[in-house]
Amino acid sequence: MVKESFIKELAKILGRENVLSARKDLLAYSYDSTPERGMPEVIVFPRSTAQVSAVMKAVHREKIPVVPRGAGTNLSGGTIPTSGGVVLELSRMNRILEIDSANRRATVEPGVVNLDLQNALAPLGFVFPPDPASQKSSTLGGNVGENAGGPHCLKYGVTSKYVCGMEIVLADGEIVELGGSAEDTPGYDLRALLIGAEGILGIVTRLVLNIVPLPETSWILLAVFETLEDASQAVSDIISAGIIPGALELMDKTSCWVIEQSISAGYPTDAEGVLLIELEGLGDSLDRQAKDISEICRKNKMRELRLAKTTDEKAVLWQGRRGFFGAVARICPQYVVMDGTVPRNMIVPALRKVGEVAEKYKVTIANVAHAGDGNLHPLILFDVNSEKEKKAAKEAGKVILKVCLDMGGTLTGEHGIGLEKLPTMKAMFRPADLAAMHRVKSVFDPDSILNPGKLLPPEEDGPHHEEKEAPA
Amino acid sequence: MDKTASPEQPALGPRLAGIVGPENVATDRQVTKTYEVDGLVPAAVVFAANTEQVSQIVKAGNESGASIIPWGSGSKQAVGPCLSSADIVLCLKPMNRIIELNTGNFSVEIGAGLSNAALQKQMGEHRLLFPLDPLYLETSTIGGELATNASGPRRAAYGTARDIVLGITAVTPTGDIIHTGGRTMKNVAGIDLCKLYIGSWGTLGIITEAVLRLFPLPEVSRSLCLTFAGIEDAFRLVARLLISPLTPGSVELIDGVAGRNSAPIGDSPLAEDEVRLLIDISGNREEVERHLKEISAMAGANQVRHIATLEGEAATRAWNAYRGAHQAVLSAAPSAFQGKASVPLSRQADMFKAIKEIGQKYRVPTGIRGHCYNGILYPYVVAGDDHAVSIIGDLKKAAADLGGFFIVESAPLPVRKSAGALPRRSDRALMKRLKTEFDPNNILNPGKLGEGAD
Ligand SMILES: Cc1cc2nc3c(=O)[nH]c(=O)nc-3n(C[C@H](O)[C@H](O)[C@H](O)COP(=O)(O)OP(=O)(O)OC[C@H]3O[C@@H](n4cnc5c(N)ncnc54)[C@H](O)[C@@H]3O)c2cc1C
Repeated sequence: MVKESFIKELAKILGRENVLSARKDLLAYSYDSTPERGMPEVIVFPRSTAQVSAVMKAVHREKIPVVPRGAGTNLSGGTIPTSGGVVLELSRMNRILEIDSANRRATVEPGVVNLDLQNALAPLGFVFPPDPASQKSSTLGGNVGENAGGPHCLKYGVTSKYVCGMEIVLADGEIVELGGSAEDTPGYDLRALLIGAEGILGIVTRLVLNIVPLPETSWILLAVFETLEDASQAVSDIISAGIIPGALELMDKTSCWVIEQSISAGYPTDAEGVLLIELEGLGDSLDRQAKDISEICRKNKMRELRLAKTTDEKAVLWQGRRGFFGAVARICPQYVVMDGTVPRNMIVPALRKVGEVAEKYKVTIANVAHAGDGNLHPLILFDVNSEKEKKAAKEAGKVILKVCLDMGGTLTGEHGIGLEKLPTMKAMFRPADLAAMHRVKSVFDPDSILNPGKLLPPEEDGPHHEEKEAPA
Repeated sequence: MDKTASPEQPALGPRLAGIVGPENVATDRQVTKTYEVDGLVPAAVVFAANTEQVSQIVKAGNESGASIIPWGSGSKQAVGPCLSSADIVLCLKPMNRIIELNTGNFSVEIGAGLSNAALQKQMGEHRLLFPLDPLYLETSTIGGELATNASGPRRAAYGTARDIVLGITAVTPTGDIIHTGGRTMKNVAGIDLCKLYIGSWGTLGIITEAVLRLFPLPEVSRSLCLTFAGIEDAFRLVARLLISPLTPGSVELIDGVAGRNSAPIGDSPLAEDEVRLLIDISGNREEVERHLKEISAMAGANQVRHIATLEGEAATRAWNAYRGAHQAVLSAAPSAFQGKASVPLSRQADMFKAIKEIGQKYRVPTGIRGHCYNGILYPYVVAGDDHAVSIIGDLKKAAADLGGFFIVESAPLPVRKSAGALPRRSDRALMKRLKTEFDPNNILNPGKLGEGAD
């Protein structure tokens, strides 16, 4: 329980305008896009590392849970304050501290919105490659918290590849530097632990990011197929031909239809499979790439091919894909987003299975996928007012995750475990694997005050010490 | 220290033999002597054939308090901080299988004892590339490369192990078998222990298997060999390249001193005061042509003395000679040492000059090799032991002043003992706690984490 006197102490550290505790404010921080709910007791907005550290010292003394939060756009319930306590929102630490293109580095505070950084980089001819579809609102600290991906991660890799250094505040308020601007810092790669840790190991208060020059040219191909199977086979064939486009996104008929209801991206609404393929690189090489890819698509019975070269045309095509989750929410506010990821050559059978599951459980599934990486996003739609539909959606989701695991895949490619996928962790990891993760957690946050109840299933759920091995 | 005489030992030998079979344990000093490391001769050398055996050996080590030194090919054993104890050398060489090649997913699962060269060769037959290319790739094992986060010229285009490894199976210091990561390109389930194991130098566990990313072999490869009279010109070209949309495969630098003992790197000799950039350009035909044209033009604008475009055998010879330079310098001067300076990209020329000035101050020749796309320079200092410590002190200061760091890698044992410490950092205490949590008995590579860690 957070006492009134504690809230006063926080106000003293941060200034009253940076502390919220009115019921309407608490309510606003009690939910996200998942159906889960949890009321915080106070919300704080630090403006500096020193303030974060002071807040952590205070909560550490009182052993009060803290949920670090960026923009709260994560899709796994990761910022829901299920144990009450403090929500520590970093959105006011939103300064770009330095852009140093000669060194290919940008230094930022964690609350900087991904797109704001991109907009500052573009005039200098640079880009920060991770580009989650939520980039208009998600923060770089949140991108690190989830190890976010995005369409262009096919060619460039995910967030973990672009974090060189970070400053973090530990659960007890200690400030620590990990990595740095120079490469290959000796010692353990503790950055790697923080990236994708969903706020359970420490609070990121500064980031040194790797930025790269923008590609010289980019084109978009929109390839239209009569069946989803043909479209996914084309993806598989492009990848196995050794072609690595900038992005390779797949959308099914339902998705295209949903998008066209609120965004006029010009996607066909009568085709079962559509691929959005971005080619990029030196101008000289794009003709060849386009030719090779269209040939593969044609072999897979492509019905239509469009080529966009101008900035405006390309922007419209991207707007559709990037606006997908929002567009769905407008039509059906409740849905389960899956994030299962399979080996790249399993995309055809995986999507086929998803189709079978939809039929069996009588649920509507809209499919988008970062297909080149095998990252599926089946969206299971349901009517909140129908318990039966809700249950069917949940069941279908479980089956789809199992399908992904059975194919050698993973529970989540980029959205994280959070609260939502916690019950499935044991299907993927053995007790010894989870025990090792708990060891790491206990080193960083022995009292378990940082985002408790997320990412790691509680230890007492099962024995974790050495599995007894049969004697040889 | 050397625990050969400790009372547990007699029981340990038979116990190890019980796990791996007597033919896979050596206690004969003639054999164990060849595994001497940091002046320590192990009491036993054990060869493990699978992850279960490794787990049991580690458990046996814990029970008897014997330290265990994981061993691949041994190429990096004499690099970095010194061990404080070495009772059992655990060699993973027999675990050298390709467990599963998945060409459609561009991934391969391997045993940690497989050598890089053997993997490259087999992948080449499928027109696939495993991009990790550290110095000793002919002999070094993948497990050892991951444990030491080894890298080579290709890191400019493909990144380092953390960008290439999809999954790792490891045995923890208490003998648990854990699986981290997986086989998908993207995976954010759980805490990313996979990357923690990369570069942990065998102090947090023993990597026994790994799933690696593969890439298509490029359609065309060419190498540009550019010779400059001065370092400014070479680094001006690098700076231009770094802000351009060009994407060379590697951009390596070597000076005449570092290259003086090796076969010719390229088509012409390299004078002691010259520097050479060796640039790999790989991709499709159109891309490669554009790169060759533009980089040659940039070189022309930066007072290049000599340009050669190499392909096929000639290119391979140049790259092999470049790799060979390291060992050639060290072998020619047994008192020489080699370190690693990492600085921000734009400070590489400053670091280069600082190294040369320090060399002049102590009147010792210095050679330099480097990864210009990563801000990493490897100085070779041909010094007698008496100056080495002061020189290292100066190098550490110079690198720190430029916003980076300097560490000693290969050096005579006394030099490593007195100057091998890693830079002091605020994350040191966390690392120590992690080591203690994972390895409460401090039996895996004790000492290797460096200064004050154990
Ligand atoms: C429309 C839409 C599209 C999306 N598209 C993508 C996509 O293409 N790819 C993708 O990967 N994700 C996508 N997402 C998911 C989400 O946007 C990303 O996970 C994003 O990185 C979250 O950023 P955030 O600022 O909202 O973080 P939050 O949701 O606020 O936090 C995410 C996690 O990180 C922790 N955290 C936040 N800040 C810090 C910090 N400073 N220090 C430590 N921990 C912290 C939190 O505790 C939480 O566990 C999408 C979401 C939406 C709504």
